[in-house]
Amino acid sequence: MPSTLTLAPVVPSAAAEQVRAEVREFLAAELAAGTFTTHVDTWLSGVDPAFSRKLGERGWLGMTWPRRYGGHERTAMERYAVTEELLAAGAPVAAHWIADRQSGPNLLRYGTEAQRAEILPRIAAGECYFVIGMSEPDSGSDLASIRTRATRNGDGDWVVNGAKVWTSNAHTSHYAITLVRTSPADPAHRHAGLSQLLVDLSLPGITVNPIRILDGGHHFNEVVFDDVVVPGDMLLGEEGNGWHQVTAELAFERSGPERFLSTYPLIAEFARRVADSGDPAQLATLGRVSARLLALRQLSLRIAGALDRGELPDIPAALVKDVGTTFEADVIDEVRRAVDVPASLDSPDPLGRALAEAQLHAPGYTLRGGTNEILRGIVARGLGLR
Amino acid sequence: MRDLVVATVRDILAAHEPFVLTRERPWDSGLWAELAEAGLTGVGIPEEAGGSGGELADAVAIVATLAAGAAAVPVAEQLLVAAPAVLAADLDLPAPDEPLSAAVDGAVTAEPRDDGDGPGSWTLIGTATDVAWAGVAQHLVVLAGSPVGPVLALVDVAGRETTHAANLAGEPRGSLVLQGVTAAGALLTERQADELRARYALARAVQLSAALEQVLAWTVQYAGERQQFGRPLGKFQAVQMQLAEMAGEVTAVAALVDSAVQAIERGDSPVLAAAAAKVRAGSAVEVVARLAHQVHGAIGFTQEHRLHHLTRRCWSWRDEAGTETAWARVLGAGLLADGPDALWPALTRVL
Repeated sequence: MPSTLTLAPVVPSAAAEQVRAEVREFLAAELAAGTFTTHVDTWLSGVDPAFSRKLGERGWLGMTWPRRYGGHERTAMERYAVTEELLAAGAPVAAHWIADRQSGPNLLRYGTEAQRAEILPRIAAGECYFVIGMSEPDSGSDLASIRTRATRNGDGDWVVNGAKVWTSNAHTSHYAITLVRTSPADPAHRHAGLSQLLVDLSLPGITVNPIRILDGGHHFNEVVFDDVVVPGDMLLGEEGNGWHQVTAELAFERSGPERFLSTYPLIAEFARRVADSGDPAQLATLGRVSARLLALRQLSLRIAGALDRGELPDIPAALVKDVGTTFEADVIDEVRRAVDVPASLDSPDPLGRALAEAQLHAPGYTLRGGTNEILRGIVARGLGLR
Repeated sequence: MRDLVVATVRDILAAHEPFVLTRERPWDSGLWAELAEAGLTGVGIPEEAGGSGGELADAVAIVATLAAGAAAVPVAEQLLVAAPAVLAADLDLPAPDEPLSAAVDGAVTAEPRDDGDGPGSWTLIGTATDVAWAGVAQHLVVLAGSPVGPVLALVDVAGRETTHAANLAGEPRGSLVLQGVTAAGALLTERQADELRARYALARAVQLSAALEQVLAWTVQYAGERQQFGRPLGKFQAVQMQLAEMAGEVTAVAALVDSAVQAIERGDSPVLAAAAAKVRAGSAVEVVARLAHQVHGAIGFTQEHRLHHLTRRCWSWRDEAGTETAWARVLGAGLLADGPDALWPALTRVL
């Protein structure tokens, strides 16, 4: 196996298991109190600022960041345990998810001291939310082709024009880390001339237009920038280094357990059916699905271990996301074939509702964060083929 | 030590091309003799028991290396299944240079003998079926049922008649009539019997993982060498997608199998971890073997090319030591043991 694809095995630490137990206890209490109900795919669709603040109060956001920025200086393995428990419970974590997962780490890597001091403690408190400003109406997977432009005005501020799409939860978020072209496109150097700006979504000239997904839910948006003046000190990192920064950010975006647990609540509901029936074929389906999930956990845990060692495992992360998101969608058909339950959002049967939610969200699993075709291209590079 | 052991196995393997197994030539006795001579058929077995010492992980590394080389020798059965079981049951282990296999499917029953041979003596009744290396192994560990619980019996089967049957790769999988045979044996708990079956499944998972990894490596290599339309196959995006899909499967299997082996080394109960590893490794075979053959084209579909040595083994190993479906049921039932609402905690405890 090429070393580019594999990572060293890890064993969960006692600290990780401790915090896992704490989160589990918290979630059981919240579920019992009825503060949330379990749903599929809640890390993008389940926006609940009050819930996010509760996590912040308990120290479960910004976990790996320095204390001086409101973080808790814990390991990626501990953070892994927390995120995994939240996902398995189908908890409403979408408000803060992007900020905690990738925007905060991006700020830590590339932000100025002022940017970090201002924003990171608010993210860690569960009060400040981010969206990903990468894709555009004419640029999906081909990020280097973006056309949103930022030019310096006489005051040294940036004037931004263009549009971003698929910006999940822009209508409930505070900032967009926005990939913009700061130099004209050069066909010979497609990745040059890109920069990241930290854009306050309340600035004049920004319009957020909802885009409904298949179940009628609203997390997607189009964000239009019309002569938006972004203060000059809101450049993130280096001017012209945007491509490199985005690539690093994607390693965080692609590596977590949300890339194989989006449909876990469906598996949990199916398990109730299997326990009732004791049907051997259903037991086998549960076993097959579980074996795939267990393998993905081991891969994802290894990525957390690599992050703790200071590595940025972009190729293994792409591989896990390809295998994991394929699994998330496969779960639906595995369960469908094992039961006689029609999928409907209005089903009196919770399994029918979970099937419907999972199915209507399914096309997104293998698209968001880079399509699986892009990811396989990255894996092929890891195999030395390109 | 592990690197040295693996290097030694590789050196020995290099002199033994895989061959098409036939009824007349059902194993690579020359390879076995060299491995035994080097002490490699006793790795993981303590020196005081006649072995070469070393840890389970060393034995796993040997089994993996031999599996990737399509070696036609009963090393997985001996090092990972039968010898540890004999030692755990406190029976006398045969010499490591005499091939030892295992039959764990429970088709044989054992009756205690009360003729003064002592409680460790049993009479076996029935036929052991689908025995790996039947006709090759000199000794056989048999997991038998008895009125007082599962019995681990150790039978000398040298020269004993076997029916001919082979798996898809030609590896012997015949039956042995054990009617009325007297054997030394030990009572096991049900849990110990389950763990023995799980170890056998994990041994096959280790072999599958190594073989699948090798199949991927061969396919990547072939895609880099084979020219079509003026460029290597591997430069075509469609082929890259196939190879990346194979890599995803192989990497997932390797991670789970490695973790399962490590869990057992730590002393965790092997049953659910082994079940998961066997199911996951087995389910990868369809994708990896199909795409490997697709990329290799017609040459890979012939006995002239090496690919079949591994793909045919993989197609069989996924069904052996308990089929994917059987282990999936074990895993499903095990995960629900504390009720369906405890599924997630159960999943996080497996590994």
